Amino acid sequence: MAQRIAALPLRDRIGSITSGTLAWIYAALLLVPFYYFIVSSFKTNEQIFESPLALPATWDLSNFATAIQQAELGLAVANSALTTVAALVLTLLLALPASFALARATGRAGKIVESVFALGFLIPSFAALFPTFLLAAALGLFHTRTFVVFLLPATALPLSIVILTSFMRTIPRELEEAASMDGASSLQVLRQVYLPICIPGIATVLLLNFLSFWNAYLYPLILIGPDTAQRTIQVALPTLKVDAGTDYGVLMAGTLFTLLPVYLVYTVLQRQMQRALLSGAVKG
Amino acid sequence: MTALVEAGPDAAVRPALPGGPAGPRRGSLRDRFPGLALPALVWYAVFMIGPVVAMFVIAFLSWPGMLETPEPTGLGNFARVFADETFWAAVANSAIQIVVGLPVMIVLAFLLAFYVVQKPRGHRVLRYLLFIPALISAPATAMVFYAMLNPDGLVNGVLRPLGSEGTAWLADPGTALGAIIAVELWSGIGYSAVLIASRLDGVDVEIVQAARIDGAGDWRLAWRMYWPIARDFIGVVAMLQFLSMLFNSAQSVLLLTQGGPGTSTTTLAYLIYQKAFVEADLGYSQAVGVILFVIGLLGMGTIHRLLRATH
Repeated sequence: MAQRIAALPLRDRIGSITSGTLAWIYAALLLVPFYYFIVSSFKTNEQIFESPLALPATWDLSNFATAIQQAELGLAVANSALTTVAALVLTLLLALPASFALARATGRAGKIVESVFALGFLIPSFAALFPTFLLAAALGLFHTRTFVVFLLPATALPLSIVILTSFMRTIPRELEEAASMDGASSLQVLRQVYLPICIPGIATVLLLNFLSFWNAYLYPLILIGPDTAQRTIQVALPTLKVDAGTDYGVLMAGTLFTLLPVYLVYTVLQRQMQRALLSGAVKG
Repeated sequence: MTALVEAGPDAAVRPALPGGPAGPRRGSLRDRFPGLALPALVWYAVFMIGPVVAMFVIAFLSWPGMLETPEPTGLGNFARVFADETFWAAVANSAIQIVVGLPVMIVLAFLLAFYVVQKPRGHRVLRYLLFIPALISAPATAMVFYAMLNPDGLVNGVLRPLGSEGTAWLADPGTALGAIIAVELWSGIGYSAVLIASRLDGVDVEIVQAARIDGAGDWRLAWRMYWPIARDFIGVVAMLQFLSMLFNSAQSVLLLTQGGPGTSTTTLAYLIYQKAFVEADLGYSQAVGVILFVIGLLGMGTIHRLLRATH
């Protein structure tokens, strides 16, 4: 490697050095905050301020206990889990039949419906947060998890449908025609022929939406509100930050706590998760 | 929102999707009309399209508080918006954020992707690390940066031995916007790099080897070969990050600075939030929403024009 580089013109040598250096500097910049907040979650404010990068003197879990108790993080995790799972189920219930229909549709109507979903990314849903809030109030669901469970699938439909439709297009029509000939209804064809083949696509959609639902912040903040019995983990976490006198150790312990479920899933399903995150942009 | 934004590339790459592989053919009504798509369509119309339509209506109403009765005001809200210094401060902040932040993010992400694709030692570790920011929620990212950037935080702790006196990065008007942009770069570069790398992975190895034998070095390979090949795809990633910066910045601003000090970190997206939920000036807020929508379209058009495929 070194010899090959030495033979290159100066500009290229700089090029290869810079992109490599950049890469590892960025990797360090990704890791240092992690290291910092993990060690900080075992320290007191004084220890954090005096020696930010030192390992903690003791691996004392009291910050975690304080964080969980102070922001009622246990309850918040339960709320997040409930909201996320319900929204994921609803997303699949809506997106699977829709993708199935769109993959088989041959007429103009199908194309129009499909482009409505494909253009969904243009909708600045954050800008329309206030009308969404009015909708929640009009449905009598303001300050409930229920409304967020209804809303999140809508935000995820465009991408979910685009991914699942392209998956279902790969299934040969003959398979379906054979099933129809045996007298199977549309829904039976969907369940018995399409679903088993689409499992990887469904996994991708589930993982992608798991991340975006679990991590959702502004919608739950405005629509569920601060009620500790209903609020999600993402809304609960920032309440550990106080204008005067934040206990940084507790704040970092709380942050670590909220990240655990995501990292658990990432560690177990690393390949699938990476593929899901990529397919969000790469499918086209 | 992530999901919405991520739908972008598909739509951008494939605006009109082909019907069936067999083309138009005779079928039952059920085949021609995708009835099973109706529930999803209705759901989407009620929860996504409805609020956006309402946004366009409210932008033309005078509605100075939740308990007031809204009245039509024509272009009144827009007149107020354009006469407001805070709005122009927000335009400037959003402009800086995008004009500075976006090119830096895309160029660095491209160089990173290029490096990873060459499979240097440790590239697997690198790929694993690059995904990290994509997994972390906005509140968690914001809390970590809040801890690092406070006057007694890590950044000052590292700089102090070098003779710098403590800066309150998030509370100093000179550095607050920069800090917000840094947070977005931190979380955006990795994911963009991973996306771009997935496209660069598809570049034919033999062409690259042939170019190397001809004496092309890394710098030239990156900019003369990989960049043109991946150009349109990089455009898609740029659009994705553009929309995310434009709209999602509201979250990091809300969590870290609440638009302050003064108006130094008030971005357009945050202004919409602030006017609606803090000051209850609803017509104003939604008028800015409409403006942001138009800016989003214009920006997408510009990026598409700048980075469209040349071949």
